[in-house]
Amino acid sequence: MKTEITSDSVRQMLLAGDTTLDPLSRLLERNLDAPKLKVSAAPYGQVFQILLNGAHPAWESQPDYLVIWTAPHLTLPSFGKLMRFESASHAEVLREAEQFAEAVLRAAEHVPLVILPTWILPASERWIQTLSWRQDVGLANPLAKANLVLAEKFDGTTNIVLLDAAYWQASLNRPAHDPRMYAVAKILYSQPLFEKAAAEIKSVLRGSLGLASKVIVCDLDNTLWGGVAADDGPNAIKLGAADPVGECFHAFQGVLKGLSSRGIILAICSKNEERFALSVIEDHPAMVLRKKDFAAWRINWKDKAGNLMELAEELNLGLDSFVFLDDSPQEREQVRQMLPQVFTPELPTSPSELAPFLASLNRFEVASLGREDTERTQSYQAERGRKEARELIGDVENWLRSLEIEVRASPLRRETLARVAQLLNKTNQFNLSLRRMDEESFWAWANDPDNSVFVFQVSDRFGDSGLTGMASLSKVGNDARIVDFVMSCRVMGKKVEEALLAYMCSQARANGADRILASAINGPRNAPVREFFAAKYSSGEEASLDCARVSVPATIQLTEDKLAPSVGV
Amino acid sequence: MEDILAILNDIHPGKDFAKGNDFFAQGVLDSLDLIALVAAIEARYNVFIDVEQIVPDNFKNLSAIKALLARQGVTI
Repeated sequence: MKTEITSDSVRQMLLAGDTTLDPLSRLLERNLDAPKLKVSAAPYGQVFQILLNGAHPAWESQPDYLVIWTAPHLTLPSFGKLMRFESASHAEVLREAEQFAEAVLRAAEHVPLVILPTWILPASERWIQTLSWRQDVGLANPLAKANLVLAEKFDGTTNIVLLDAAYWQASLNRPAHDPRMYAVAKILYSQPLFEKAAAEIKSVLRGSLGLASKVIVCDLDNTLWGGVAADDGPNAIKLGAADPVGECFHAFQGVLKGLSSRGIILAICSKNEERFALSVIEDHPAMVLRKKDFAAWRINWKDKAGNLMELAEELNLGLDSFVFLDDSPQEREQVRQMLPQVFTPELPTSPSELAPFLASLNRFEVASLGREDTERTQSYQAERGRKEARELIGDVENWLRSLEIEVRASPLRRETLARVAQLLNKTNQFNLSLRRMDEESFWAWANDPDNSVFVFQVSDRFGDSGLTGMASLSKVGNDARIVDFVMSCRVMGKKVEEALLAYMCSQARANGADRILASAINGPRNAPVREFFAAKYSSGEEASLDCARVSVPATIQLTEDKLAPSVGV
Repeated sequence: MEDILAILNDIHPGKDFAKGNDFFAQGVLDSLDLIALVAAIEARYNVFIDVEQIVPDNFKNLSAIKALLARQGVTI
C-alpha cells in the first residue's frame, strides 16, 4: 500500500551523533523541497543510548527517519587510540565497528529509514603517507575496513542507507572539518560539509518517496552534441575524440547512457526536422546514444512545453518526474513558466562541465529504500513497545557493562569551582534546584559548615568525560537535604545518576541524617531529573528518599577521592 | 550592509535586523545562528574569523559585524 505523498506533509527526523549536529538539522529544516522535515538533534554523545534503547526520550518524536552521524575516533575507542599513535589492533577497531553496526541494526527495527554517513577523518589526520595504509599502524587502512564492516553488515537490509561522506568531503573546495567550531560548540564538520550533507540527504529521501526524477528530456543541438547539425552539416557537429569539445559531449552522452542503464528514461525534445535529426543519431559514428536508447521524442517546430506535455502523456509519467535539458535560455524560461513542475536546470556554460553536472543535480536517487506506508509506521510503534519490554533492556545492560564506567567522587575544591559553577548555571535537564549562582557566592555557600558539595568525574573506555556531575547536601535539623543535583547531559543514559545519588545517600547517612530530603524545582526542561527522583521517594512521603531504592548500578565502579581536604562539614 | 542583511535574513527570515542592537540578547539569534553567520560571512567576504573572534559581541548588531570585517580589511 502506498501512501499519498503531498508536498506539504511534514516528516519527523531524528539526528544522533557524537558531535553537535544542530547546524545540519537547521539546513534540513530550511530546505523546503519535499519532503519537508521537522528535525530534532539529540544531545550529542547519546548515540548508543538512542540506538539500543527504544524508550530513550529522543524517540518521543516517533521519527520517520533516523540520521546517525558519528566520527570514527569518537565512536570506536580503538580507532581513537590509533589516531594518538597508541597501541591498538585493527582487529579491535573492526570488532567495535561490528558492535556499532549491531546497534544500528537494532534501531532500524523501529524506524522506517536509517541514514548513516560513512566514517571520515579530517585531512590533517592522514599526513603520514608511508604509514597510512600499513597494517595495525596507519589510519586509512582501518578506516576503509571499518566502513566496509558497515556496508557488509547492512547489506540485505532495506532501510539502512550508508551515504558516502568521503565523496562529500572530496566534492568540497573548502575543508570538511572546522577545528574552530569544534572548539566553540563541539561542531566537528564545516558548514559547507553540512550543506552538502543536507542536499544529499534530501535527495535520498526524495528517492525513497518515489519523488526522484524518472525521465530526462534532452534537446539535441548544443546539448547532445556541439553545433547545429542542420546548419553545420551532420559531419561537422562536434562529437567524439577528434575535437576536445566533441569529447566533452561524447562523455556527456556516456553519462546519460549510464543513467538509462539504471532505468532512467531518456527522451528528446528538439526543434529540428525529425527525419534529419534521427539520421544524425543513427548514423554519426561518435554517437553513444542511438534511437533505441530514447523511449520517445518530439522533434518538430512546435513549442517545447506542449511537446513535453505530449511526452508525459505518451510515457504515462507525471511531468514532475521530468528533467528538461536544453542549452537555450529562452526555451528553458518558457518551460519553467509554463510547466514549473518540470525540473529545468541551468546548463553549465562549459561543455566539459556537462558530464559531472548531471551527478550534481541530486535528482536520480533510487526508490527502493525503506518502507514507506503508514501501516508500517504503526506496526513499528507497536513493535517498539514490545521490544522495550523485552530485549532492549537486556541489550542496554550489556552495553553499559561493556563501557566500564567509572565515577570518581571528590569534595569540591577551589580548582574545580569554575567548572562546577558552569555546570550549575548551564545545566537544564538534569538539575534538581535550577538555582543559578556565581562562583564566589557558591564557594561561600559551600564553605558554610552545614553544607557540603561533591563533584563527580565520569570516565569509560571511550575516554574521560571530565567533571560532569555535582551534588550538595545541607544539614536541616536531624535531616539532610540534597540541595543541588546536577549532571551534564553528556553522561545521561548511563545510570551515572544512580551512582551519584547512592554516594550522596551514603554521605548523608555517614553524617547521621535521619531522613534524606530532596525536592525538585518544576522547571521547563528538567523533567529527566524530576522523573528520576520521583522513583526514589519513600511511598507516602513526598520528597523524602527511600534509601532501599538507591544503589550503585552493577555496571558502574564508584570510587572516592578522600585525599583532598573536604569543604564544609 | 545590504549583503549582511541578506545573510541575516537568510539565517532567520522575517526578522528586522536593521534596527536590532543586540541580536543575541533580543533572542533574534542564538549560538547556533552565530555559527551559521560566521560561515556565511567567511564565504561571502573571503575572510577567516579566528576562534577567539567567534563570540556574540562581535556579531550582536550590524555595526559590530562591520567593525569585525573592518579589522579584517573588508569595508562594507
